[in-house]
Amino acid sequence: MRADLPMPTGQDGDGDYIRVSGLRVSYDGTTLALADLDLVASKGDFVAVLGPSGCGKSTLLHAMSGVLQPQAGQIEIGGHAVRGSMGPDAPPIGYVFQDHRLLPWRTVAQNISIVLQAARVPRDEIDGRIDRYLKLLQIDRFRDAWPMRLSGGQRQRVSIARALALQPAVVLMDEPFSTLDEVTARLMRQQLAELWRECGQTIVFVTHSIREALFLANRVYVLTKGPARVLEVVDVPIERPRRYEDPRLTELEGQVVDRVMSVWGFGDPGDGSAAGERG
Amino acid sequence: MTTTPTIAIEGVRSPTRERTRRIQAFVVASILALGVWQVATLISDGWVPSLARIGAAFVEDLTTAEVWAEIWVTFRRILVTFSAATVIGVVLGVAIGLSRRIAAFFRPVIVIGLAIPDPVYIIVAILVLGTEESSGLIALVIALVPFVVNIVVSGVRARDQGLDEMSSVYRLGRGRYLLDVLGRQVAPALLAATRTSFAFAWKLIVLVEALTQPRGIGAQIYYSFRLLRPDHMISLALLFIIVLRATGAIVFAPLERRLLGWMR
Repeated sequence: MRADLPMPTGQDGDGDYIRVSGLRVSYDGTTLALADLDLVASKGDFVAVLGPSGCGKSTLLHAMSGVLQPQAGQIEIGGHAVRGSMGPDAPPIGYVFQDHRLLPWRTVAQNISIVLQAARVPRDEIDGRIDRYLKLLQIDRFRDAWPMRLSGGQRQRVSIARALALQPAVVLMDEPFSTLDEVTARLMRQQLAELWRECGQTIVFVTHSIREALFLANRVYVLTKGPARVLEVVDVPIERPRRYEDPRLTELEGQVVDRVMSVWGFGDPGDGSAAGERG
Repeated sequence: MTTTPTIAIEGVRSPTRERTRRIQAFVVASILALGVWQVATLISDGWVPSLARIGAAFVEDLTTAEVWAEIWVTFRRILVTFSAATVIGVVLGVAIGLSRRIAAFFRPVIVIGLAIPDPVYIIVAILVLGTEESSGLIALVIALVPFVVNIVVSGVRARDQGLDEMSSVYRLGRGRYLLDVLGRQVAPALLAATRTSFAFAWKLIVLVEALTQPRGIGAQIYYSFRLLRPDHMISLALLFIIVLRATGAIVFAPLERRLLGWMR
């Protein structure tokens, strides 16, 4: 399905900024979550990782963030090998979780500042960054609010502001809109697409929604059921800004659905071999 | 000029009315308790002192400098045992809550510690260490620690693992994690532990003083008993309860507001 397409918007084509090769992760040494997974992304790219629930998508992000040690394989971000603590020169990584993971006893601003302090951002820069990113996500009026006073969508926007305020080279997003209602989720996707165009960070976005992946990303890595391997790499040749209702997205979505139906179905966990090629 | 009509919703009580009802319930319960006490006075041949006698003894104790000196002695002992038990209990509780290996090591000790009756600690400490002031205090710390550990362990185990993950991903560091993530999550349990520790410390200290010490409010209550002055026994106890309640209001209430204010 991968075609020779022009370089997607935001991709500057200066080689692979993120390189994941032969990644193998197992839990308790027995349950294999990721099996020889490969993934690459250029600087400023927007890559989606698409897979069925429980296939190991979140495990991939955990490994990329350095929290989880893989049994085999390599992860490099900006030329730095990711292994636990990446050292002071390593590029900072922003992370947006499925749920907001905000500290309920800290205000919105404090939730961002604690992360900035931990990343040793100079003290006189912190307030400015908080203001900037809260404004960018249109939640600056909630600066001193407790997270519990906010709606689900607002909390998730704070979570995104927290990740972006680090000014990370890479933002890892783990199904950040899956717990929101459809209307809020659509607005958030739209806003994320605009933010990405404005900020230009490299984003790896994990989702099980085919349309969401195709709407947001330049390139979609379709995974098999767990243990996850790459089944297919789909480039999305649709110019930005995109519309969620774009018929070209619908057509592409149909093709991906046809492709994954037999692999993601209710049968035995697939390793991609049944479906033929690996992307 | 228009006026906003007040709508009374059936079944929904106003906060003012709720408060009035609570006060009424308190007044009725207090009057009933005092009434029962007075009846007990009448049928006990004077062994249960009347409310008037207790009142007179209370005023006398309140205005006696020696009584305040005794209260200070007991108060100091409570602070020492309470602080030591809380610090040891919190450190052990957090370690047991976070590490399965440490839990496996300490769990049997804690379970046995919880099951042993408190006077046993006191008696064993007297037998082993003598009737020195420190032996009673050590016994009390050993008696209190399992309670504090138990409450803190429950708090640590009930923490949100998602926030642990967030702390790791953003590399908050051990200090920030313990204070800002774990500490704030277990704050309600910690407060419960400190309150329990404080309440138990006061009850057990008085018992230790009555058994082994010449000074302290427990010793004075015991002297009053030996001198057949039950009115003073009760007035001393009341006086000390007031001091402790006031301490609780001054120390624990602001601490609770500070740590748990975000919940309101």
